Amino acid sequence: MSYRRSLTGGALSGLGIAAFVDETVFHQLLHWHHFYDRSTPDVGLVSDGLFHAGGWLAMVAGLFLYADLRRRGGPLRPAWWSGVCLGIGGFQLYDGTVQHKLLRLHQIRYDVDPRPYDWTWNVIAVLFLLAGLLLWHRARRAVRERSR
Amino acid sequence: MTPTPAPLPVLVLLCCLLYTAAAARLRHRGDRWPLRRDAGLWLGGGLLVAAFAVPWESWLPPFTAHMAAHLTAGMAAPIPVVLSRPVTLALRVLPLPARRALVSLTRSRLVTALLYPPVAAALDIGGLWLLHRAPLPPSLHHSPLLLLHLFLAGTLFTFALLAVDPVRHRPGLAVRAGTLLAAAAAHAVLAKSLWATGPPGTAFTPADLRLASQLMYYGGDAVEIALALLLASQWYRAQGRSLRSHRGTRQPAPA
Repeated sequence: MSYRRSLTGGALSGLGIAAFVDETVFHQLLHWHHFYDRSTPDVGLVSDGLFHAGGWLAMVAGLFLYADLRRRGGPLRPAWWSGVCLGIGGFQLYDGTVQHKLLRLHQIRYDVDPRPYDWTWNVIAVLFLLAGLLLWHRARRAVRERSR
Repeated sequence: MTPTPAPLPVLVLLCCLLYTAAAARLRHRGDRWPLRRDAGLWLGGGLLVAAFAVPWESWLPPFTAHMAAHLTAGMAAPIPVVLSRPVTLALRVLPLPARRALVSLTRSRLVTALLYPPVAAALDIGGLWLLHRAPLPPSLHHSPLLLLHLFLAGTLFTFALLAVDPVRHRPGLAVRAGTLLAAAAAHAVLAKSLWATGPPGTAFTPADLRLASQLMYYGGDAVEIALALLLASQWYRAQGRSLRSHRGTRQPAPA
């Protein structure tokens, strides 16, 4: 019952967490990111608007899915955590490649060479994705063993 | 600042009193009608009057003051008003002929189309884009009817999205959540674009534009998160109901 819902709920929560950390830590606390960088093209603004709105919508959905899974005796832990890692890694990789570089929404930090920051950002994203895939593998194995 | 039209507070007060009288009649005849619904209408009415009456301009720069009034009237006030379920109340207390008329109105094609969430959202957010990006006569921005219009458009959107009052067809959660996402994104994009460029034909200072832009962006978030929480709790309660009705009859589901 709860394999797919656990994975979905985890992924939504991960997306929400990544968007939240991005917004609070890098925008509000460190002031590294800019609210609006004048060189942002329109398509960048649309992508940013969708991910900004989608981030907290995903967080709300993730929390309610978690509550519902708890009520049903879940969640299936490896599936949940796999979803969380995939959500965080997926958001961060998209943000670090498409939004920062391709759409040039804004840079991670200004007045410094952004390359080390970009590498750190994207390598962390890939590590999250790898951890998510590993956990996904374990979750599927656990489900198969249980159904046997 | 936008002058408060004198009849508005009186009209709002009359609506609130009428609602309370109707709710009292229901309770008197033994129906259940929670007091929080009455409180919702009064709160929404209060917010609407506040949008007009608060001297925003004495605290905030001019464009930011407009934005604060817009957020209050167009986004904050509609939520408690919609949650007070005015249509349900009217359907319960009106005499039969009037009730029939109201039912046929809520089931008419026009109302059904207007209440389809993507349509309601397009009208609400589309109007907002026109207001900020189309070359409109400057006098329009100071018309008291503008705030009232924003309130009505916001109420249409909230009504269609939350769908707590009975209408002909209540769309599924996916349509409503998708509409909220699209509307919130369009709102955020407009807010962010105001950081750099004000509405055409206006000359607000950059500092004013930036403050207003962030107020619209983060204020919009707060209201949209509230809408998301309301939608999610509708889903959660519906899941709980189906869980209770299945429990005991259903075998433990295979994993």
